[in-house]
Amino acid sequence: MSDDVVDLSATAPPAQLTTEYCIIGSGPAGATAARLLAERGRDVVLLEEGGDFTGRALTQRDGAMYDQLYMDRGGRTTEDMSIAVLQGRALGGGAVINASDVVPIPPAVLEHWSRRFGIPGLSEAELAPHARAALEDLRANPIREDQLNLANRLLREGAQKLGLRGEVMDHNRQGCIGLGTCLIGCPMNAKQSPRLVAIPAALAAGARVFVRARVERVTGAQREDKTVVCRALDAKGYHAGARFELRAKTVIVAASAVGSAHLLLQSGIGNPHVGRNLMLQPQLPITAIFEREVDAFRGIPQAYAVTEHETADAERGLWGFRIEAIMGTPGIVSTLLPWIGAEGKARMSRYRHIAASLLLVPDEPSGEIRRGPGGRPIVRYTQRDNHRARLREAIKVATRIYLAAGAREVVVPCHPPLLLRSEADLSSADALDFAPATVPLLSAHQQGTVRFSTSRSQGGADPDGQVWGTKRVYVFDSSGYPSSASSHTMAPIITTARALTARLS
Amino acid sequence: MWGSRESKDSRDSAECTLAGLLVDARSTGGEPFAFLSRRRWLRLALGAGGVALSGAGGLWLLRGRAPAVEGLRVLSAHQYRTLDAIARTVLPAGGVFETGAAELDLARAFDGYLADEPAFVVGDLSSALSLVEFGPLLFDGKPRTFSRCTPEERLAHWQAWRSSALLLRRQVTIAFQKFLCLVFYDDPRVWPSIGYPGPSLEALQR
Repeated sequence: MSDDVVDLSATAPPAQLTTEYCIIGSGPAGATAARLLAERGRDVVLLEEGGDFTGRALTQRDGAMYDQLYMDRGGRTTEDMSIAVLQGRALGGGAVINASDVVPIPPAVLEHWSRRFGIPGLSEAELAPHARAALEDLRANPIREDQLNLANRLLREGAQKLGLRGEVMDHNRQGCIGLGTCLIGCPMNAKQSPRLVAIPAALAAGARVFVRARVERVTGAQREDKTVVCRALDAKGYHAGARFELRAKTVIVAASAVGSAHLLLQSGIGNPHVGRNLMLQPQLPITAIFEREVDAFRGIPQAYAVTEHETADAERGLWGFRIEAIMGTPGIVSTLLPWIGAEGKARMSRYRHIAASLLLVPDEPSGEIRRGPGGRPIVRYTQRDNHRARLREAIKVATRIYLAAGAREVVVPCHPPLLLRSEADLSSADALDFAPATVPLLSAHQQGTVRFSTSRSQGGADPDGQVWGTKRVYVFDSSGYPSSASSHTMAPIITTARALTARLS
Repeated sequence: MWGSRESKDSRDSAECTLAGLLVDARSTGGEPFAFLSRRRWLRLALGAGGVALSGAGGLWLLRGRAPAVEGLRVLSAHQYRTLDAIARTVLPAGGVFETGAAELDLARAFDGYLADEPAFVVGDLSSALSLVEFGPLLFDGKPRTFSRCTPEERLAHWQAWRSSALLLRRQVTIAFQKFLCLVFYDDPRVWPSIGYPGPSLEALQR
């Protein structure tokens, strides 16, 4: 814990807190805005609901880390429990627990936003300096060949045997020693997340940063002075304690596409578009079983992506699918396998032989955020037929890749499990309908719930991120994206947050 | 696979003995409860279950007495027993390695988790536990509670729920199974059996 970060579970909240800029959420968008505004000499307060975790506080243990680093203690799902909605809840936001992939917004997506939605100010040329700065913020660099673990090499080997296009991704690690637990934080502080870059810079420039500070609502959105109503949380973030208020001229909401929309809804701010147009970019985990020990839990879990079937064009934006290696610690892997009982234990006893991939399928808006009980959001989402069809195709392609790489079988975690051992088995994937709560879909890149628009009849915020109908209440995160920005949203969010902050007068 | 679920379920005449009185996913396009919150559906199902049980002559007696359990923070002794039975079903002792849920007392771990959850989550999961406990009666017409079934019956029952045509049953299995598996395989006592050397930083420093 930095001495400069105020932990409200250990310190009484200030009685009177006023600021020019109150930023809610400390992930890539909020931390970036806080840094840039503070460096401009503005008075900034940054509020984060989660705790502050760096170094050895990140214990590499599933139970404690999912509990502390993820929203709803790792248990957030869509309302029908079909899709696990993975979101960071810590200083630095989702960048503390993501796979560290740096994938900028494809130019064709920006062209799509311009043509289809008419959004000004986000063209490739206009964003270029911000995109470059985002890569510098992240210390982005290519994953080296010697950093590819066997699981990633097997995915590449299979793809290359089939002549499929793929790439080793860029990442934001420095000094990585391959601990492999990126999804529950890096105790080596190798991830150059906002926690380690933008937030220290913001603090150095005079920003005030509070953790364990839950914002319950914002009032006075149409007035010059807004009131941000907050509660201090306990040390684990489980229970709310003292209530306090903050007054600000400008409020920037950067609490994720779920959290930002939910806060606006709780506050009664914005038009009927707020909360709509949710994209979850649902991903399906599959596992390949090899005779040899793969030990995928060591090294960088997600380094290679098969991009052959991913498309981006001005008409549709990001589409198709990509296949990316992934791996987790035993606890989380066990939740993604479809067996229980003695068979489940037998399968987990082969943990060292597992390679896994995520089938990442960009979606179109198909969900919404609603106010839920206990101050938690309801995430509603309906999977579309075209998404199911691409998932089925992705299963077939991934299976061919893994079989070409020597896998004994590929497991689709439905019930009963679908085991694919040869080309002849692939047609059985056609019967998968992905009915709710039948496969463990997950979402790590939520977008779109306060869509940027040129008219208040088409979205929740104007092209500068100002929520329609408010005076200086903004959304700066992926809530504003009208379509999927990228297969990985960290770099895009920093890019657009930089652009939006630069425009802020 | 799901494509074959229809034929499988049509053979399972007891699939929705009671729940069929409410709503069957198969007849409503697979998303039957969009107009209901999950909580309300749980309450409805349990409410109907309670009526059935009362009408059948106070079959709550079926569950019998549960042994007292010291130190529980949220769960009752009956709920603990049900959860322990679920845990032993999902993660039994024996097989390729001996350690099972009972040795790790996963039901108590779940109780500790619930203690810091909001009341509506505790309410949902308590309702779900009741549904599981009386599931053999409600859905299969068997005069037994889940925790009083044999291990083989429990496993078959749970697997039927996991691949059920009824969304609610699938949701209930997810709610408990994810937690139990995550906590079980996060335990260092299990790691040697699956070849996991433990957190890599510790391993490097050894």
